[in-house]
Amino acid sequence: MMPSLYWQIQWRRNRRLTPLYGVVLLLLVVYGWLFPGLFSRAGLAHFTQSWFPLALVAMAQAILMLTGGISLAVGSLVSLGAVVAATTMGATGSLVSMLLVLAAGLATGAASGAIVALLRLPAIIVTLAGSFIIGGLALIILPRPGGMILPWLSAVLAGNNPTVLLGLLILLVLGWKFYLATPGGIALYAAGENPVAAYRSGIAVEATVIAAFAISGMLCTLAGLFVAAQTGSGDPVIGTTFTLNSIAAVVLGGVGFLGGEGTMRGALAGSLLLTVMINVMFFLGMPPVAQYIAQGIIIVVAVALPHLLGRRLAP
Amino acid sequence: MKALLRSRPLLTTLVVLVVWIVAGFASPGFGSWPHLRYMLELASVIGLVGAGQTVVVIAGGIDLSVAAIVTLSTIALPLLSWSFDTTGAIAVLGVLALSTLVGLVNGIGIAWLRVHPMIMTLAMATFLQGLLILMAGGSAVTLDNPIVAWLGSARPFGFSACIMLWIVMSGLVLVLLHATPLGARFFALGANPLAARLSGVNIRATTLCAYGISGLMCGLAGLLALGMNGQGYVGIGDPYLLASIAAVVLGGTSILGGRGTYGGTLPGAVLLVTITALITVVNASPGLRDVLFGTLVLGLLLLSGREAKRR
Repeated sequence: MMPSLYWQIQWRRNRRLTPLYGVVLLLLVVYGWLFPGLFSRAGLAHFTQSWFPLALVAMAQAILMLTGGISLAVGSLVSLGAVVAATTMGATGSLVSMLLVLAAGLATGAASGAIVALLRLPAIIVTLAGSFIIGGLALIILPRPGGMILPWLSAVLAGNNPTVLLGLLILLVLGWKFYLATPGGIALYAAGENPVAAYRSGIAVEATVIAAFAISGMLCTLAGLFVAAQTGSGDPVIGTTFTLNSIAAVVLGGVGFLGGEGTMRGALAGSLLLTVMINVMFFLGMPPVAQYIAQGIIIVVAVALPHLLGRRLAP
Repeated sequence: MKALLRSRPLLTTLVVLVVWIVAGFASPGFGSWPHLRYMLELASVIGLVGAGQTVVVIAGGIDLSVAAIVTLSTIALPLLSWSFDTTGAIAVLGVLALSTLVGLVNGIGIAWLRVHPMIMTLAMATFLQGLLILMAGGSAVTLDNPIVAWLGSARPFGFSACIMLWIVMSGLVLVLLHATPLGARFFALGANPLAARLSGVNIRATTLCAYGISGLMCGLAGLLALGMNGQGYVGIGDPYLLASIAAVVLGGTSILGGRGTYGGTLPGAVLLVTITALITVVNASPGLRDVLFGTLVLGLLLLSGREAKRR
């Protein structure tokens, strides 16, 4: 009985996302047609590299939005991860440095989560002020671009082989599946959908929110580590664009702003859609300026379209 | 007495006065009239952006495109100047119409296309960012409009023109929010959109008005910023996004909508400028300055912006 119910729910979730999958597939085909090199190993590696950091921050944003929160500090957390990696790697070696990057994200995430959950300040305000504090910390750690990433790590993460990145992504998705199967994961949706009901059903809402913020922070700094590996050094303002893009990807993926509504696979598909869109625009030779304009329009259209179509279909 | 102490606008005003008095004794020159006037001039820009933000937040939304609209109005002013327009009045009106139009487009996206305010205004900010680089081409714009120059620098009777403009606009916004049917509709919409609709409030028109007002206020703020700086450039509006939201919340307006007043945003704006001035006195590195600013704003918000307990 249980397995069939499980697949029923999975099927229903996938069916809601079918239009999104269709659009992503269509754009991928267009991209592959414009740029046949995509299907070579190096082409796939480069595409994965442009997708990976956005996929990470989309996951980070999705976890928070499922609890009914939001983070405007994603970009500065990415920068923090990049500068921590670039400044510590030379002295401590790669393993300790990576652990430090993860710990930095975990700690800052948990701290903002504690302020949101225990002191009852709205997440948008805490993370907006937090973006200044975290961005300032990144500037203090590394005032100007510099530092270094061990060449072998750059080669593994940003070389011509996509296996490691795709493997990491699959690991993260499996980790998310595992987290959802634990009480903590169920509490995440419950706390987002209806915090009062969740609280009265005995769920530790505060702890759930703090855990979500901590995981989210860790994913952001991990994205920062990867961005630093891509460029070979650290830059204290490299993450700025990730804040808007993470929100856009998650909303394109059908995650609601009020919490408890949406899926991680949707968020990942949204990030893929955004990446392909940016890559296609780049490939069509559009200047970066026009990309901003197109991105703004596309996001609004993509978010508004289901509503417009839905109104036409339903009387 | 107890009711007075619970009033957040009053509390914020008291905090400002305490900080001014303490800083005035600690650092000579801080409490002098030219310095206080200078801080009020800076606060007038935040205050105007905050006026639009207050209206939008009370109506249950949020405007993340304010920074881009402020920049847009500074960049667009020279483009709208014609030789026969010697006073510059047409250019000023054109800029105000343009910024209001941008706000109205936000409102259309939110009310008709049902796009979430945060997405709509963030997407608008992205769109404008591209457009602005296209318009300005990365170079600064020099001010050549007599009206705007007067607004930014004139001091009739030793009292700055921009502060006077701020006072007049504050009066208008306060009357609009608390003494007109439209203001009551903003509060109703923010408190409970469904109940508001069922009570006969035209949700779409009200939403449109809120974002239109925000656009107009950003346009005015942009003109003031241009008048004070003498130059417009891409990024001139950037500080006003956090500042406007922080000023609104510091003033006791609930970010969830339906509760608050512009009377709180006024001291909130002054408080933010005061904090920035104090940090400049400390003479810290750019990174430390950001950390201090964020921490102080967060600390003050803990005093005034907390939401009610769940149980």
